[in-house]
Amino acid sequence: MISEPIRDLDHLEPTTGRIPLAAPDVRPLLGWIVPPLVALLIAAVAIEVWVRVAEVSVWVMPRPTGVIENFFADFGRYFNEGLKTLGVSLGGLAIGTAAATLLAAGVAHSQLLERAVLPIAIMVKVTPVVALIPLFIIWFGHGWNPKIAIAALITYFPVLINAIAGFRDVDPRMHDYFRSVDASTWEIFRHLRLPAAVPYLFASLKISVTLSLIGAVVAEFFLSGQGGLGAVIWIEQNNLRLEQVFAAVLMLTLIGVTLSTAVVVAERLFSWRLDQPVTAS
Amino acid sequence: MIKHPIEPDAEPAVRLEGVHLTYETKQGALLEAVHPTSLTIRAGEFTALVGPSGCGKTSLLRMIAGLTAPSGGAVSIFGRTPKEAQRHKRLGLVFQEPALLAWRSVEDNVRLGLQLNPRETHSPTNVDELIEIVGLSGFERYRPAELSGGMQQRAALARALAIDPPLLLLDEPFAALDEITREQMRYELQRLWSVSHDPRDPPRSAVFVTHSVAEAVAIADRVLVMSPRPGRIIADIPITAPRPRQPEHEHSDRFINDTAIVRAALRSPTTPAVPLDAA
Repeated sequence: MISEPIRDLDHLEPTTGRIPLAAPDVRPLLGWIVPPLVALLIAAVAIEVWVRVAEVSVWVMPRPTGVIENFFADFGRYFNEGLKTLGVSLGGLAIGTAAATLLAAGVAHSQLLERAVLPIAIMVKVTPVVALIPLFIIWFGHGWNPKIAIAALITYFPVLINAIAGFRDVDPRMHDYFRSVDASTWEIFRHLRLPAAVPYLFASLKISVTLSLIGAVVAEFFLSGQGGLGAVIWIEQNNLRLEQVFAAVLMLTLIGVTLSTAVVVAERLFSWRLDQPVTAS
Repeated sequence: MIKHPIEPDAEPAVRLEGVHLTYETKQGALLEAVHPTSLTIRAGEFTALVGPSGCGKTSLLRMIAGLTAPSGGAVSIFGRTPKEAQRHKRLGLVFQEPALLAWRSVEDNVRLGLQLNPRETHSPTNVDELIEIVGLSGFERYRPAELSGGMQQRAALARALAIDPPLLLLDEPFAALDEITREQMRYELQRLWSVSHDPRDPPRSAVFVTHSVAEAVAIADRVLVMSPRPGRIIADIPITAPRPRQPEHEHSDRFINDTAIVRAALRSPTTPAVPLDAA
């Protein structure tokens, strides 16, 4: 019964002024964190034993202890290259999300715009966007721009579709009410459509945040001159230095976990509901 | 300073002249939802509109509110078009579902009508007082989802009243509530109907759509009975019981007699039980 009230309190925003007074119980949280960590540890130990007993070549599979050792010994490098990848990922996410939200706002208001734009958006969606990287390098040069462009494009679609759905998920009676006091289109957007879309935007952000990381890493494979973890992986696999490859992947995993967690935390802080509200009738 | 463009007592609250509604179904057939209807609702009159489900009473209300354009005929609200009534925030709408903004507190939901189209916000109502009057004191900071259905509908009523509208349009506002709450709410509505009203405005009128005969007779000055589709008004029954009415009134002979007349009119939809309104 201890965990019950905590779930309910999740539905309240701090702005209601009804902030939970008691510190949240961490025990249920530990219940979620400990089992996967133990499973991961068992897997690592198993690989370690396998590599040592079977004398697997370091060019095929490095020892987990070796990877960890390298990760911490060369932490500065992975951290700095990770920051570059993170920058590309977040830059693309910001541009892609902003552009998609703006277009969705237009589409939600205009059927003509919807008919013109949506088929093209779906065409872009079914195209593997990474295929455009060589083209983007020609267009945007060898710097950050082509990488950010790919991350933005890969992020764009889930946000667009969710935002359109969100802007339209408006109670028709509520819309009638706004009309009955002659509210302007802007007022209907600002006070009805936009807040209605917030849960949808967060749902799409959960998807697109990891997509943007994929886009960034793949782009870095092509543009290995500017660094980033994708470039590290590309260069080190050419040198058959698998410990370094795994260490870079480990850093990518940590970035991915951090980004996803950040979205979940932001959702709890800024979204007005996570799922259907608990109706007390 | 002229705050309200409408002169008191100069115009009826609602005037319908040959208003009808026909729409095309997906199969291409024409469906007459509302038969040509003429009707006058005086300022200060509480009118109930009863009829079987699907008879077009909601359509009629939506045409009065300017939310549905009639296929023909003219609607005037205090001598103006429904669109003008919307622009000057003369209409207080309440629906069957509370239709509150889920992300706003009760207080901010009540304030919504004052916030929108702000040039037309005259005589700002005291929102705290209004929340107290509808019985939601202490729940100002709650979200709609944290309230019961009855409390949500009280919040919706407060929101409608916050702009101090001279015409309340209520579309089965208590239909989704349990029987006990419904019976309470009709007397609450009677009380709220006259609340915080600007004396420069005409006395507040209401059009109350319901399919409950008891509800209509308990609260209204006048009950209009509609026939099944195509809906038209087949009886216009005055309810002259004095106000304020108490729940005990529902046990009186007068109440029982009035409901019997309305029920008889509902049963014989083709032959009017009472002569039609001359208007």
